[in-house]
Amino acid sequence: MKKFKRVFIYLFLSTAAIVSIFPFLWMLVSMTNKSVDVTAGRLIPGTHLIENFRNLLEQTQIGLAIWNSLVIAVITTFLTLLIGSLAGYGFEIYRSKMKDVVFNILILSMMIPFAAIMIPLYRLFGQISNDAPLIGLDTLAAAFLPTIITAFFIFFFRQNTKMFARELVEAGRIDGLSELGIFFRIYLPTMKTTYAAAAIIAFMNSWNNYLWPLVVLQSPEKQTIPLLISNLGAGYTPDYGVIMLAIVIATLPTAIVFFLMQRHFVAGMMGSVKG
Amino acid sequence: MRETFTKKFWLLMIALLTTVVLAACSGGDDDSSEGGESDEGESTSGDEGAEITAWAWDPNFNIGALELALEHYDNEDFNMEIIENAQDDIVQKLNTGLSSGTMQGMPNIVLIEDQRAQSFLQSYPDAFYPIGDYFNPDDFAEYKLAPTSLDGKQYGLPFDTGVTGLFYRTDYLEEAGYTHEDLVDITWTKYIEIAKDVKEKTGHAMLSLDPNDLGILRVMMQTTGTWYTDEEGTIQIEGNEPLKMALENYKALMDSGVVKLNSDWSQYLEAFNSGDVATVPAGNWIAASIEAEESQSGLWKVAPTPRLDMEGAANASNQGGSSWYVLNIDGKEAAAEFLGGTFGSNVDFYQDLVTEIGAIGTYKPASEGDAYQFENEFFNNQQVVYEFSQWMEEIPQVDYGMNTYGIEDILSAEIQQYLDGKSIEDVLADTQTQAENQFK
Repeated sequence: MKKFKRVFIYLFLSTAAIVSIFPFLWMLVSMTNKSVDVTAGRLIPGTHLIENFRNLLEQTQIGLAIWNSLVIAVITTFLTLLIGSLAGYGFEIYRSKMKDVVFNILILSMMIPFAAIMIPLYRLFGQISNDAPLIGLDTLAAAFLPTIITAFFIFFFRQNTKMFARELVEAGRIDGLSELGIFFRIYLPTMKTTYAAAAIIAFMNSWNNYLWPLVVLQSPEKQTIPLLISNLGAGYTPDYGVIMLAIVIATLPTAIVFFLMQRHFVAGMMGSVKG
Repeated sequence: MRETFTKKFWLLMIALLTTVVLAACSGGDDDSSEGGESDEGESTSGDEGAEITAWAWDPNFNIGALELALEHYDNEDFNMEIIENAQDDIVQKLNTGLSSGTMQGMPNIVLIEDQRAQSFLQSYPDAFYPIGDYFNPDDFAEYKLAPTSLDGKQYGLPFDTGVTGLFYRTDYLEEAGYTHEDLVDITWTKYIEIAKDVKEKTGHAMLSLDPNDLGILRVMMQTTGTWYTDEEGTIQIEGNEPLKMALENYKALMDSGVVKLNSDWSQYLEAFNSGDVATVPAGNWIAASIEAEESQSGLWKVAPTPRLDMEGAANASNQGGSSWYVLNIDGKEAAAEFLGGTFGSNVDFYQDLVTEIGAIGTYKPASEGDAYQFENEFFNNQQVVYEFSQWMEEIPQVDYGMNTYGIEDILSAEIQQYLDGKSIEDVLADTQTQAENQFK
């Protein structure tokens, strides 16, 4: 009976594993095939990788798109972490009567879908375009500015700060550190795992962000990777081999970031649950 | 307990208040924006030589056509940047930009699919620039004018035609005992008869259909000049005889086993590239995909689209097609002049458009040019382009209205029930009710 149960579990897990891995496998195989073979459902690696790569370089500015995505993602991650952690830290450490009310309103803002604020936001950026062209429409700054302050990360850092020993703050104060000093010299180093977990989430969100960059970025030189892939698939006769190759290239950076910080990521997420 | 309740109550109140304030703000902004827009328009109108931008999709087709037009345009002061965006992306960007009220970041020229055009023209009345003075609308296929104009003003310059044809495999049809004449000017009922015959004698399915794509219904319906909505935009599903007949034909096709089902575009292409199906009733643009399978050269021909078995029906219909629009911002005159000077009047340009891009325009005088007379080897030396341009002029005009795609979403759910045995009257009545609830 026990053996039977075990077989069943393995069977179930294997099926689940195949179902989730197969699309990736298919993607990897397809990038080496011709478009016609991809549509015909060919599952054997082909010999068209180099040709697809050449086509991709010819048809698109993929290097530029990766650079744009990278610039946006790195700046977003840095600013999101800085602002989110400062706010989360403040909410948890400092005493104030109204802080829970403010915090709850903040959490409420998570309920508003982005599509609902997109049009006012566009209008806002449209209007500042004349006075401040550096952060107006069609700039990389416009693509990341609305995403750097999110209730989610403030919440995330506040929850994790609950694990942070308050005595350290007291000790820092007694030793004459400024409040910012305490934050940067004591809090930041001890919360490394939390930062790592948040960094992965922020980076991935930004890297895969589609709707807002689509609306706000107009010129081809500002295109990010998801926009480029969307364009590739838009023709009346899409080249699936090239599209798959572009998707693989687009997936690599998030995969790398994830594997580099995987250990911290798990620890950081555990922390937020425990808190 | 009580304390937390009051706390929650206040939170809710604050949230409500915020919403109300936000809503009020946006309402006020609308008024001011109109003033702002007209100011911009006045201060800079007539600004020649400015950089013009254009949005379109598909590098090989629409963007290729724009680039070709630019080559044919004789004006050294004119600079245009062509920006490629997926069609859905263009719709999203336009909707966001136009509803925000600032015309910032919007292009000068944009390509819009005919079936979507009315929803843009009606939702954003001042956003588009009437360009009827820059070309002669009567030079274009009549069916293109209703979707591209509003309140008697011409906003769009008609571009490609989606004129349909019945592409068929000569070898399969011959094997079943049919000649080209047997396929000319037939009805859909006759088509289904032939389909059964072909299936029986050759074993090949007659056509490939995606159950989620009702394009074929629209093609059938338009042969009689009707649509889901009438000229006033009233939804007419119940009591719509052509639609009813189209649905009956659709069910007959599905029930008789002559359809090879597909679930996406690539499977659709696969169905005829692999030689599985005997015919492809579709817009002329499918020719490029059929010709992609070079080994089938000489095996295909095109007949006119079957019509519905009703009085006044034509053996011509349409599937897809888009037109160029000019936005009401700086540079609109330059943009309109460019369109008028190329797509609006240049016969030579249309010849190159056919040979180099494979796009058939809706400009009627173009069909007398040399390129249109080309005898296509792939299609048994048929003058495919010329024939399409002739059928194009017979396409019955319909008003696509604002909600074609919305109504179709409702209809496609109902159709599944119809195929499962629900009566046609109930299907039409239920669709009518749902559509009225949703779009009124």
